[in-house]
Amino acid sequence: MTTLRRTATVAWAIARKDAIAELRGKQAAISTLTFGAVTLLLFGFALGPDPHRLADAAPGLLWLDLVFAGLLAVGRFHELETEDGALEQLTLYPMDRRSIYAGKAAIGALAMLALGALLVPLVAILYAVDVVHALPVLALTVVLGSIGFAAVGTFYAGVTVRLRAREVMLPLLVLPIVAPLLLAAVKATTAALAGDPLGELPAWLELLAGFDVVMLIAGAGTYGFLLEE
Amino acid sequence: MPQTTIYASPRSVGAPEQLPPGVATKELARLFGGNPALAGVTLTIPAGRCVQLTGPNGAGKTTLLRILATAIRPSFGSAAVDGLDVAAHPELVRSRVAYLSHATGLYNDLTAHENLAFAATMLGLEPGTSGEAVRGVVDEIGLADVANARVGGFSAGMRRRLALGRVMLARPSLVLLDEPFAALDADGIALMERLLDRWRRSGVTTLVASHSSEHIAARADATVQLDAGVVASVTGEGVTSRPPAPERTAPPAAEVAT
Repeated sequence: MTTLRRTATVAWAIARKDAIAELRGKQAAISTLTFGAVTLLLFGFALGPDPHRLADAAPGLLWLDLVFAGLLAVGRFHELETEDGALEQLTLYPMDRRSIYAGKAAIGALAMLALGALLVPLVAILYAVDVVHALPVLALTVVLGSIGFAAVGTFYAGVTVRLRAREVMLPLLVLPIVAPLLLAAVKATTAALAGDPLGELPAWLELLAGFDVVMLIAGAGTYGFLLEE
Repeated sequence: MPQTTIYASPRSVGAPEQLPPGVATKELARLFGGNPALAGVTLTIPAGRCVQLTGPNGAGKTTLLRILATAIRPSFGSAAVDGLDVAAHPELVRSRVAYLSHATGLYNDLTAHENLAFAATMLGLEPGTSGEAVRGVVDEIGLADVANARVGGFSAGMRRRLALGRVMLARPSLVLLDEPFAALDADGIALMERLLDRWRRSGVTTLVASHSSEHIAARADATVQLDAGVVASVTGEGVTSRPPAPERTAPPAAEVAT
């Protein structure tokens, strides 16, 4: 088995294992979905019936929900490893630890994408936003933003996994680092929904893609050292 | 740059006298918050031996096993498995070591079969053969009837058997067992004894940390007693400790009085 194939096989097994555990336990999924739906409903009522105000607020609220989901997801997928010494066992298998990072980042991004797929139609209905014409670009924005967030979140979930106060520390560490990503994601979403009148969309998407590449390389290169006890 | 010699598995090539020891430690020490859990252990265990590790709580048994399993690094000194330094070549050592710790390392939301299938993938078993290997192990550990039940509902003994099944999936040259008989019923103990015999026959070095010598004594080639992080005594053949472990003598009268 080649090194690359072995890395991909292990990463896929870790992502699959986390997905099965979460789908059965549903601990993060239920709270994330509830938070997402309630946030969109409450802000919809608070902003009133003005369609322009609703459309202006929609990108920010969509990403607020996705960030919350992402934080819960990367934290939860690492919390699974704290059950009965599972993390130590995982680190003792004869494999490249970058596989663990790849698997955890992949399932974190997939969890955000799954929530995005549910929330985008909800945003379209509650905020009177036409998402159909912008769907390809909107999908690309959510994919790039989710990958970047999961890349950073997975790294810091590895930093905090052995801490008692990991639920508190994780957002404190992740949110400052992902500020440029969130700015670019909200701006790209706004531009995409508005039809990109100023032609700024490519620049924001390039920023998102660049952030993803840098964070994935940095995370994969350093994550293994975090698991040393 | 120091030259490193990488040896083949003791089961694959070479006459026994040419092989590096299964385990070799030199002045091995490990501190936790400034307190020594191991305080200079020098041990040589020939490949293929079954060795019991005894000692009171806090003697350093688990710390020694965890260093050899590459779960933690030594603070001072060195440890080697089949001639491979655990700090310099942890990836190579991991492919030769199977470790059964106090914690089972199982996932509660996965079934017994899924836990073992996951372990098989992590251990690098080929997809074509891992399914058969997992089924064989599930049968042997006596959990075939509950193979598709979630591990979260298992008793401590069933979890222990499943963790043992994960060790069986590996192809190690060194097996490290920390209190392997804990929580096991009569069938589980019989399984453990069969495995110890099998590993011994196939030339696998086995290091068993256990308070009780009831089940292990008949199978152990030697017994190493640790106390306060150092080797207190070595009995049996093959295993050496340098400087030699002191002769066990009666404590001074004043110490007895306190």
